[in-house]
Amino acid sequence: MPEALNAPLFHSLIKRMEAGGRWVVLDLGPARSATIRSFGRFRSRLDIVDLADGLDVLNGEADPRRIRTHAEQLLLPRRNETTDIVLLWDLINYLNRPALTALMECIAARCKRGALAHGLVYYSAKRMPDRPTTFVPADDQHLAQISVPTGERPAPRYSPEDLAKCMPRYTVERGRLLRNGMQEFLFKL
Amino acid sequence: MFEIGKKGAPETGPRPESSPTRPETSAPRSSGSGREAAVIGPSIHIDGDVRGEEDLLIEGEVNGTLQLKSNSLTVGPQGKVRADVYAHSIYVDGLVEGDLYGSERVAIRKNAQVRGNVTSPRVSLEDGARFKGSIEMDPQAVQSSAGRAAPARSNAPAPAPKPAAAAAPPSAVPGVKTGP
Repeated sequence: MPEALNAPLFHSLIKRMEAGGRWVVLDLGPARSATIRSFGRFRSRLDIVDLADGLDVLNGEADPRRIRTHAEQLLLPRRNETTDIVLLWDLINYLNRPALTALMECIAARCKRGALAHGLVYYSAKRMPDRPTTFVPADDQHLAQISVPTGERPAPRYSPEDLAKCMPRYTVERGRLLRNGMQEFLFKL
Repeated sequence: MFEIGKKGAPETGPRPESSPTRPETSAPRSSGSGREAAVIGPSIHIDGDVRGEEDLLIEGEVNGTLQLKSNSLTVGPQGKVRADVYAHSIYVDGLVEGDLYGSERVAIRKNAQVRGNVTSPRVSLEDGARFKGSIEMDPQAVQSSAGRAAPARSNAPAPAPKPAAAAAPPSAVPGVKTGP
């Protein structure tokens, strides 16, 4: 397994969960045993979307309403219980602005007020893997990249201002520059 | 494998089909009597409710509902199940579209494709499996769900989308755990 990435804001999420209560976690990435194990020790429901295969559909559409329709189809059906935590991880980087806006709106509609979203944005690096990387919790403070595609593409390098425009319902609660050049964000609804 | 509520407990138990003389896809032995499990073969297609009190291996196709009170269900690599499943233990190597209720465990293996919600005290998923749905890991919710796991439940979590043909409403069935 590659060297784990210190992710203090992810750690802050875990600390909040350790305070107790029930948590509904929405994971946009693929199902991974390490993620299930990590959240399985809490009273939680883990909703796994595995969105990566739907990125081309979202990015290939220009009409915002149609993007939202696609996003609704890619997400799990809405349920009575709202989401507390969203794991975006590096997927943000693979969505163009309209797709990011539509997807995050659809997610917001599933979340409770005050919900938190954790994301990783390529910030200082000009290039990034050509497909999303699979991240899993290595422990409470670290994320590990367990699949890194070999190809590369330019990184959109979304700034906090870009993200504020694309995700108007979310505010940046905290941001941290990580050792690998990614910016770790904790967004709040 | 982990047990809900236990911190990071890795899976240590052997696979139920780990006999060196028996390929993993072959019929598992019945947990109670030691006899061979019933098999729905690759050429069999069933629409409707399947109920029983012995272990079952599915290599064919089942659309409807599957209920095995205190026995295990294995969906083999060729198996296709479009049904809500209620069983003591559920092992998936094939394709499932539907919700899985395992009173003891649900194991999703690396070649499995599952679209649906999983509710069980013990859930394991091997990396490589394709899964889309919810995994309930709150012991209180799991216990509560077990009390509602009769097919005629009214407050159960929203089921995964499934073909209309698989949505036949089953009735209460003897042999299926309906309460805590």
